Amino acid sequence: MSKQDQTSSFLLRFTQKMFEDEKGEANVQWRGKITHVQGNEHKNFSELKDAIDFIQEKLSTLTLSSIESDVSEEEKEGILTKSMEIWKRLAKSYPKMMVQAIKDPKAQVAQFQEQLTSKAGEISDRLQLESYRPTNKSDLKELSDQVLQLTDIIGKLKKKVDKIDKKIGKS
Amino acid sequence: MIRFDDSHIEALLEAEAKAELKVYTFGRFNLALNGQQISDNWGRDKAIQLFQFFLISRNRSALHKEQIMDRLWEGTATDQNFKVALHGINKVLEPDKKARGNSKFMQRQGSSYKLNMEYVWLDSQAMESFLEIGNNSVKEQPELALIAYQYAVNLYKGVFLPNRIYEDWTSTEREKLQMLALNAYISLAELELKEQPNESIRLTEEALIIDPTWEEAYRIQMMAHMINGNRPQAIKTFNKCRDTLKQEFGIEPLPDTLQLLQRIQTA
Repeated sequence: MSKQDQTSSFLLRFTQKMFEDEKGEANVQWRGKITHVQGNEHKNFSELKDAIDFIQEKLSTLTLSSIESDVSEEEKEGILTKSMEIWKRLAKSYPKMMVQAIKDPKAQVAQFQEQLTSKAGEISDRLQLESYRPTNKSDLKELSDQVLQLTDIIGKLKKKVDKIDKKIGKS
Repeated sequence: MIRFDDSHIEALLEAEAKAELKVYTFGRFNLALNGQQISDNWGRDKAIQLFQFFLISRNRSALHKEQIMDRLWEGTATDQNFKVALHGINKVLEPDKKARGNSKFMQRQGSSYKLNMEYVWLDSQAMESFLEIGNNSVKEQPELALIAYQYAVNLYKGVFLPNRIYEDWTSTEREKLQMLALNAYISLAELELKEQPNESIRLTEEALIIDPTWEEAYRIQMMAHMINGNRPQAIKTFNKCRDTLKQEFGIEPLPDTLQLLQRIQTA
């Protein structure tokens, strides 16, 4: 295997802690651990940013170690910058919900509940499923997930139909 | 849910006693074939790696050799490399097997291979089975759960395949087994708390070796010290918990832990 093909693997562990705060309100906390497999090093974190920084640090080391020793400092810097740009793009695409859940679980849960209520409202309005109104949050979530999946499928179908439509139009 | 009883534990112990090939993966990799330890007959390390890879993939369907080579050699292997490693396994497990004879342990379907677990006892698999009995009987049959957890923790002798910690094909299995071992230590420590507080302390110490930030382990340990009438040690345990959480996560202990401290201080 060439030096350019080196691999870095990371293992993420999240532990959820549910508890009641001083006011007796239900709360949730996430604790994380990230392990760099090839280096057998780890970092505990409660903010996802710390995990991302840890990955970035390990990837920089990997990139630097892969660069031949006879490469000039300027070239090294260029390769490292490119490598980090790719990583930053990847890190940015992390689901916002996950980051939010770790940063501010309470706000995130409230936001999620609001979305669910709104989705449930839409379902009732559009489909008039009064008799199937969900009885608890778990049912509500399941129903909402199914609607989201359907929306996604419909979106994909629409794209396909648009493509076919275009083709037909051309011919 | 299956209702477990003593016969399930006996069946697991019998399976271990009867197995032709016993594989030990916790703390140190070791094999015993018909009661004889196999130490250094492997020749190449890749043969051991291939065997360990088959162990980890035991619950999957047979794997194509290309898939195996991709994971183990990271795309640099030739068919010859694979053959040599496979021959290494057969040489160790079935030294009397004829060159083209069927293998008892290695199942082949075309170019796909799988380890036949019928004749194999694996410590990590046994630990999972004991844990399953423990977890399913802890509420209704705590005495049975206690025995099952004891067998489970006795099997855990340390990290899974410790000489492969840098190999990413072992990391998922290692993580899973560490979490299971942690579960076994904590569950057993809770069951032992009232009758055997010192054993409970020992078990939570083992759990904290696996993960020094496991807050539940500190809480059980604090309670065990209080049962022993050792309030200063209980407070010391709390301090260690608070310091570790602060250092590792930058957070405070959970309200349950703080309330426990309060009870300890006012008791």
